[in-house]
Amino acid sequence: MTVRVRFFARFRELLGTDISVTVQDGTHLLSLVKGIAEKNREGYDAIFDAKGAFREFVIVMQNGKRIDTADAGSAPVADGDEIAVFPPVAGG
Amino acid sequence: MIAIQTGDVDIGALINGAKKKGTGAIVVFDGIVRDDDIREMELEAYEEVAVPELEKIAAEAAATHNLLSVDIVHRIGRLAIGENILVIVVSAGHRREAYEGSRFIIEAIKAGVPIWKKELSRDGDRWVPGEHPHGSGKKR
Repeated sequence: MTVRVRFFARFRELLGTDISVTVQDGTHLLSLVKGIAEKNREGYDAIFDAKGAFREFVIVMQNGKRIDTADAGSAPVADGDEIAVFPPVAGG
Repeated sequence: MIAIQTGDVDIGALINGAKKKGTGAIVVFDGIVRDDDIREMELEAYEEVAVPELEKIAAEAAATHNLLSVDIVHRIGRLAIGENILVIVVSAGHRREAYEGSRFIIEAIKAGVPIWKKELSRDGDRWVPGEHPHGSGKKR
């Protein structure tokens, strides 16, 4: 199945954006994002801590809805999903 | 009008449009690129999520503060010092509702709408840190 991953702001600069990836059924959010982030050490370190968990400030959305990053390890992705990963917002 | 756009905002037109029947007060919030020793500011948004969130904030503000109209226009792209970043125009029957509704909207935008700002200066570029840093909804 195919999933679209979008990074924003600093994460976009480090990892790119609008990435289409083919993943196996049963893939979870955490492993999906890790697999992409591992291609750039600085990008990986910006998003994940030393234990491989999402850093506390990182925001993850699945199809426009926030996913608690503490649950990302058990949140499955589905074909056609759009996953967004970004740092704290700073609009206004 | 709820929009994210690169172009500038016609604030006068928004004010005229906000004068609905029963209007006694209009409050305009205009967020500006401040001269903090920067050259320019660059803004980006996750538009597919940001626009619906702005619409939701506008609807909640209107219902909670009895607003007669709400306009929110947030700009993206490169902006020079002194340019408009965000314009919020609200109208209400009385000043209290208009002021409180406008304040509610700007604080809600800062808290959760996926928009980011980068300051471009001679000494390098810097992403502006958000005021609400936690990505996890659960306390860890």
